Order: sequence, then structure tokens, then C-alpha cells
Amino acid sequence: MTGVVGRSVESITGALRSVFTAEQVASSDGFLQRRDPRVSLCSVAGLALAVMITRTVAVTLCFGVVTVLLARLSAVPLRQLLARSAVVPLVSAGIVVPQAVLLPGDALVRAFGFAVTDAGVAYVVLFTLRVGVGVALLSLTVMTTPFSSVVAAMRELRVPVALVWVVAVTYRYLFLFFDELQRLVLARNSRTTGRSTLRDGWRDAKRLVGTFLLRTLDRGERVGRGMRARGGSRPPSPYSRSRAVDKGDYALVALAVVAVAGSGVIRWGL
Amino acid sequence: MGPVIEARGLTHEYPDGTTALRDVTVTIEAGERVAVIGANGSGKSTLQLVLGGLVEPTAGTVEYFGETADAEAVRDRLGVLLQDPDDYLFNTTVREDIEYGPAQLGMSRQAATQRVAHLAAELGLESLLDRPPFRLSGGEKQRAAVASVLAFEPEVLLLDEPFGAVDAGYRERILKLVTGHEGTAVLFTPSVDAVPEIADRVLVVGKEGSIAADGPVRDVLTDTSLLRDNGLRPPTTVQLFEGILDVDDVPLTVSDARAHLLDQTQ
Repeated sequence: MTGVVGRSVESITGALRSVFTAEQVASSDGFLQRRDPRVSLCSVAGLALAVMITRTVAVTLCFGVVTVLLARLSAVPLRQLLARSAVVPLVSAGIVVPQAVLLPGDALVRAFGFAVTDAGVAYVVLFTLRVGVGVALLSLTVMTTPFSSVVAAMRELRVPVALVWVVAVTYRYLFLFFDELQRLVLARNSRTTGRSTLRDGWRDAKRLVGTFLLRTLDRGERVGRGMRARGGSRPPSPYSRSRAVDKGDYALVALAVVAVAGSGVIRWGL
Repeated sequence: MGPVIEARGLTHEYPDGTTALRDVTVTIEAGERVAVIGANGSGKSTLQLVLGGLVEPTAGTVEYFGETADAEAVRDRLGVLLQDPDDYLFNTTVREDIEYGPAQLGMSRQAATQRVAHLAAELGLESLLDRPPFRLSGGEKQRAAVASVLAFEPEVLLLDEPFGAVDAGYRERILKLVTGHEGTAVLFTPSVDAVPEIADRVLVVGKEGSIAADGPVRDVLTDTSLLRDNGLRPPTTVQLFEGILDVDDVPLTVSDARAHLLDQTQ
């Protein structure tokens, strides 16, 4: 694709597809791939909860190490995991970075009338680390568990149907949404001659937005019909992927329980 | 055996004011093979969506199996294949997409697995089962969509252009599966050449969105002025023998034409 719009769309679509369709990793043989999807879902949710509870950098880093170990045991390439987990903490860091000067504490650096405080830096670092580790854990689940297994596990765990609907439908529509945008940009590029400047690209983007929204609505309606045609007006009911729970499943559950309990004890005491 | 679909006075108008269907009354009997033909934009796809209970008509009623007007109540008995496979395939893998209907409609996992294996073998999808549908070619998507609708073994098939993007080899295989289907099949297609192989009754949707003709295949396909008036080209063999042979003797398929020519030369 050419032009700033085309390249942006290609990057976003590529990233989205890679985030949501780690089918190769999910089908490979690894520790998390061998786990019962219900156990995997609950345990990773537990670990993420433990990360959210903690308020110390050292404990957060420990969870980071656990995440890396789980990734290694599950044959998930660390570079891939990092690439998929980096955007959210970086954006979060951008949002909380003013706290480095807003929170009172001992000044570390002074510039332009502002003081970067130790408490502020600690807060930004801890917040970003917690978000990063939490997102990495969730990415790890997505990468090692096929999406239909996640939905089936949610149904078996009696998660409210409305929530399962939201998760299932959002997943399905995200692909279509970006595929539609990609098709629109391809159609534009097929009739675009010469090199387009940044200004041309943004001008085209304005034109594309309206058409894109209309096409997306239309596509959404048609996919809705496609789902209804196959019984999709009922709650999502993929075939269960669960099986007999084994030692590895118990180990993962134990890890999650210890992590939540440990995090709670460290934060609030006994 | 009564009607499986009974539509009366169907009219459908889109929000932009386009009238896609105009007072359509049609009855599909159990076990029938019906082809619905019409020019582009004639309203075939709208008729399929309305008959399939996926679009509410502006006026008129549709009754299913002589029992109910609620399509959702008989969803497991209706197999509606949409025209664009991208609207139909939305799961993570082809396997999950084929399993989607059976799972939603309560088929046992074992039965569904057997169906997936059978259809994958028939439609050459074995090596594609674990791939995401959006990475398939147009023809592969079409085959996966056909497998998805056949997977839950519906009594009535309502298929919109099932041969759209497939090559000749797979077209034959889809044809074999559809003609081998034990229930009722209604095919919506602009391709009149395929009709004699799949149907024993033809409905022509006219330019105004109304039914311009409804009758046996030979009667409709040899009425060249009717077809041309409604924006359709008569079958190739009919064009070839038009004015040469009597209407009752005109071959409707290439194999019939070949047999006729061989007969004449011997």
C-alpha cells in the first residue's frame, strides 16, 4: 500500500491480526497450550489480579519473571510477546508521566520550574510495570488458547451470557472492521497515480472516513445475518474444549492462588 | 409432504426507497429443486434473505413447514448461504466456522466432527481447516461457506450463488453435494447454464422485483424472449439450437447437446 493512510491501515490491520490470531503459537505444544482452557483463563486472570493488587516494584518484577517463564514453557517467542504487549504500557506511561512532577516528594531533577520527584518517578515506573505485566499475561492467554476455547470456557464457567456475547461479537467484528478499511484503501490505491504526499494522504483519509463508516455498518448488518442464518441469535455455544484436569492444571491454579494471596499479604499484611 | 416455505404478497422496500420485491407469492414444496434466476439487481438476494427469515419484508408473510411464521423457531431446518462468503465466515479457523452452525444448533460434537471431516474431504478443505478464513482465496472461502451451511444438515437449503468464485472442478463437487442433499434446495443464481443440472423448477425474478415466470425447467429455459426480456441470456445450448430444433427437443445441457450431435452424425 502507498501513502500514509495505506501504510497506517496496513500496520494496524497486520498488528490486529497478529494479536488475535496467534494460531501457530496456540496450536504448538507448550505448557499453557496443554492446559484446560477454563484453568488457563482463571489462572491467568488470577495472576493478572495479583499484579493489580501489588504496589511494589520488586513483586511486580517477580510477576514479570513468572510471565516470561510461562512464555518460555509455552514456546511463545519473547520478542513476539513483547511486541504484542508493549503498546498499552507505553500509552499508559504517556498518560501518567505528568505524575512524575505532580506528586510531592524529594526532587531528583529540576528544570523549567518543575521538579521531578522520587515519589512521582516511582509511581510512573510502578504503574507502567503493572500495566505491562498484566497486558503480557493476557496476551499470553490469547496467544496460547484458541479464541473459541476462551469463549467455550467462559460459557462453562457460567460467565454472564451478555458478557460472552460482547467478547465474541467484538472479536468477530474487529477483523471485519479492519478488513473493510483495508479493502477500501486498496480500491483507492488501485486508482491512484503518482506519489502522494502526506497532505494528500490526510485529505484522502477524510474522504475515506464517511464511506468506511457506511460500509462497516452495512458489513456488520450482513455478518449479523450470516450469524443468525446459522443459529447465531442464540448465545455463543462453541464446542467445549475442556478435558480432565491434570497435575499441570493444578500447578497453574496453585501458582495463581499463591500469587493472589502473596500479593494481598504483602500489600495489606496478615 | 406439504410446502416447506409459503410466501404470500411479499414486498420489500429498502430505506433508500428502492423496491427490491413487489408482491411476490411463491410456494416451495418439500423435496423440490428450485432455481431462482434473475438479472443483477433484480431482487434475488433480497428474496433469499426474506425467505430465509433474515430480512423482515415491508409487506407480506412467510410461513415455514406449515407451522410457523417465525424463522428463528425453525432455524435448524433452514440452511441459508449468503452471497458473499466474507459475510458468512467469521470464526478463527475454517474448522470452527464449519462447526459454528452445528454447535449453535445443538448437534453433538461427535456428529459435527464427522460432518466436518466428510465435507472437508468432499470440498478439498482438509489442509485449510486450521487456517483463518480471511487468509483463504475467493474460491476457498466459497467452498468453506458451502461446507458451513451443509454442516448442520438442514432440511431446506437456500443458497445464493454457491458456485460464485469456485473453479470448474469444485463447482462439480458442490453440485454433487447439493443434488445429493435429501431435502429441499432453492438456488439463487444469475447463471442459467447451471439450472438444468440442479433444478426441476425455475422461478424468474423480473426487473421490477416480481415473479416473471414460474414453471418446469424446459418450459422456462426455452422461452428465449421471456429470458431476454428479463435481462437473462438463454442457456448456451438453447442459443445454439434455437430455430434449428423443436422446443421440446432442444438440449438443455452440454452433455445432452453432445449426445444429440453424436446421434445425428452416426
